[in-house]
Amino acid sequence: MYYIDLAVTGISFGCMYAMMSVGLTLVYGLLRILHVAHAAVFALGAYVTVLVANATGSIALGFLASLIATPLFGMAIYRLLYEPLLKYRPDVPMIASVGLLILMQDAFRILFGEQGVTFRSNAFSFTTFNFAGITISAVQIAIVIAAAVVFLGLHLFTTRTRIGVGWRATVSKPQIAMSFGIDPIKVRYLNFAIGSALAAVAGGLVALLNNLVDPAIGFVVSYKALAIIVLGGLGSVRGTLVASLVLGLVEAYGTIFIGAWLDRDAIAFLALIVLLMIRPQGFTGAKTA
Amino acid sequence: MTAYEISIISIVGINVILAVSLNMISGFCGQVSLGHGAFFGAGAYAAALAMVATSSVPLAILAAILTGCLLGIIVGFASLRVRSDFLAVTTIGVNFLFIGFVRKQSWLGGEMGISGIPATGLGASGNMIMILLFACATIAFSFYISRSWMGFAFRAVGEDEGAGATLGINAGAYKLMAFGIGTALAGLAGALYTFFTQFITADAFDFIFSVMLMAMVVIGGIGSTWGVVVAAVGLTLLPEAIRFVNDYRLLVFGGLLVLVIRLAPGGLAAMVRGLVLRVRGA
Amino acid sequence: MSTALQLENVAIRFGGVQAVDGVSFAVEGGDFVGLIGPNGAGKTTLIKIVAGLLRPDRGRVTLGGADVTDEATATRVRRGLALTHQIVRPFREMTVLDNVVLAAGIQHTSSPFRALLHVNRRGEDERAAHILGLVGLAGTERKLAGSLPLGQMKRLEVARALAVDPKVILLDEPLAGLNHAEASKQVETISQVHRRGITVILVEHNLEEVMRICRRLIVLNNGLVIGDGEPRAVMADPVVHDAYVGGGMVSHAEA
Repeated sequence: MYYIDLAVTGISFGCMYAMMSVGLTLVYGLLRILHVAHAAVFALGAYVTVLVANATGSIALGFLASLIATPLFGMAIYRLLYEPLLKYRPDVPMIASVGLLILMQDAFRILFGEQGVTFRSNAFSFTTFNFAGITISAVQIAIVIAAAVVFLGLHLFTTRTRIGVGWRATVSKPQIAMSFGIDPIKVRYLNFAIGSALAAVAGGLVALLNNLVDPAIGFVVSYKALAIIVLGGLGSVRGTLVASLVLGLVEAYGTIFIGAWLDRDAIAFLALIVLLMIRPQGFTGAKTA
Repeated sequence: MTAYEISIISIVGINVILAVSLNMISGFCGQVSLGHGAFFGAGAYAAALAMVATSSVPLAILAAILTGCLLGIIVGFASLRVRSDFLAVTTIGVNFLFIGFVRKQSWLGGEMGISGIPATGLGASGNMIMILLFACATIAFSFYISRSWMGFAFRAVGEDEGAGATLGINAGAYKLMAFGIGTALAGLAGALYTFFTQFITADAFDFIFSVMLMAMVVIGGIGSTWGVVVAAVGLTLLPEAIRFVNDYRLLVFGGLLVLVIRLAPGGLAAMVRGLVLRVRGA
Repeated sequence: MSTALQLENVAIRFGGVQAVDGVSFAVEGGDFVGLIGPNGAGKTTLIKIVAGLLRPDRGRVTLGGADVTDEATATRVRRGLALTHQIVRPFREMTVLDNVVLAAGIQHTSSPFRALLHVNRRGEDERAAHILGLVGLAGTERKLAGSLPLGQMKRLEVARALAVDPKVILLDEPLAGLNHAEASKQVETISQVHRRGITVILVEHNLEEVMRICRRLIVLNNGLVIGDGEPRAVMADPVVHDAYVGGGMVSHAEA
């Protein structure tokens, strides 16, 4: 039974990692930039969800508010930080992104306190269900459902709607897309908007899961997301989903074996470094490094 | 000199060595390293163990330099495999792996770190002078490298490896050399730090610290020895001088890093050079 | 006269295409060879194999008698091979002079340890200035290489190639993108290089100039050598003519 509990934990974490990392892989796929500050977007989503929920008494409104705020933030990062730096070597925007992440993190600490913020009234977090001896929390279920909805939605969007198809075309074959009249700049904004919105959902769900948002929330997930998108094949949404689930499960079960000599959070990085050395283009090898 | 002044100058000296050595790797040779803190830490731990075992200062320094260098060369191999931003990611990982590993090893003190490290016998002032001497030596070495053919080749490798190959320059060998020298010096800084504090924990060598070192290099002007020295001194003293900066340290560092990259990518060095040119032209 | 460069049955396949399909030829020291052929013939791929930028699937590349098939570009350069790029690659952040000085200092940069111990560059400064004069770039020494117009950048490529003191120079489309006047100047520079006894292998589309200066033409089509010899004779060959103009229908067997 314990092992199934671990599986539940692993899958729900995996789903959360997936929603968080998709935005990162989308940005890389389009601009070849490692958008480390995406973690700040994620954190912002979490903070906005909690703060608005506390102010209005409705968690749903909290989610809605963060779904509006975070895409704006994400698009602003592109316009103000990345666009002017596209002409440089790829590590330049990346280092700027790291600087932004650190700045935002401290800003959250200063504005909202070292201890973070909690939901004022949240029955959700503590609701659990019992299936044949396995304990699953309502939030874990919500995470998995949200991930399913999100990825199904993304798939339909990019295959059935005109905008979505145009977006996919721009990412894989920019020249052709342009000759069909698709504006590459609008696609970039769309890219950041969608990726950021997904991170916001992930952030809100994590806030629900822990009933807490603290300044370090983005930090821990940020580098894991980096590991995930490389493992899944840069620019590949499907690969990111798979890699996220795998990491979630490996972390859950892995601590049993490696927990003695390596921190659980370092597992992701160990896997990443090993992979980069063996196969710099990732597992599905979608786009080379 | 008050105890406070001595300790501030000591820290400044250590940071100068760290920033100048990082500049050799990332500035001269163009290899991004966001993991410099890990080599600093490795050196510190090596020196700590050596001091606890033998109380020998020369041995501790040697152990620190070798440990930093060895670890650096291993990480340097990564630079032969992946492009610049992925190298950055790999070096970020080195920070986490280092801390994640050290915290679990009881022989390294685990989460408690190593305390009660024997003193060097030089006293606080003596330590400070030793640090300043090493800092000056590091700066001189940096200037020397910059003027030497190795510095010349570094610049080629940093800008365009392929073009360097057509000039017979073996990029891989130079990258490993850059990492080896830069991390050996970081290890040295680690030993000096251990002598200074006599107590170390892994948290002092984390990713945030590595980013702050990179911020010093970027703000000072990537590739410019004197620029990086000024930035290291300034950014170390700033939190001491201005209370606001001390409380909001990461905000300020992160903000400066972003602003400099965005508005003045060449850092202080480029700004001064531009100013000088404008004055000459006027 | 020893064989400066020899290719034996070199072949490579990528992108589902047999880009080079068993090419063999030998170039003697002092030769002046033009490597030509229609687009997609495999010229650039072949040059990359000779330069060490690509490893062939089979075959051998020999430089001055030594088998360099598995050697990196930098190692081949130290053996006496120099090359210029089709798309120029100067060190844009360095001055024009420094670009050439670094090339001239090739002995000092053989290993990082060696390079660390040498600081003096006076000799190389002089040699570089002299070479810049030879290629017609005198006066541009202090300019940043990235600020030069294309014609001058192409000559800088040749200057750098000269400075490593090579026995063989590979020139990849040195005239591409140049107007008539610039091309003439570049051709004169290349002739000068050859006059110094350096073996020159030239990849070019500009047939007019190639015909004028090369002593020998090797024609490539579909990854195979279809012509090799004195320029006029080669160009008169119906198989070669057909490769450029027609659908590649005529083969030597039928002609």
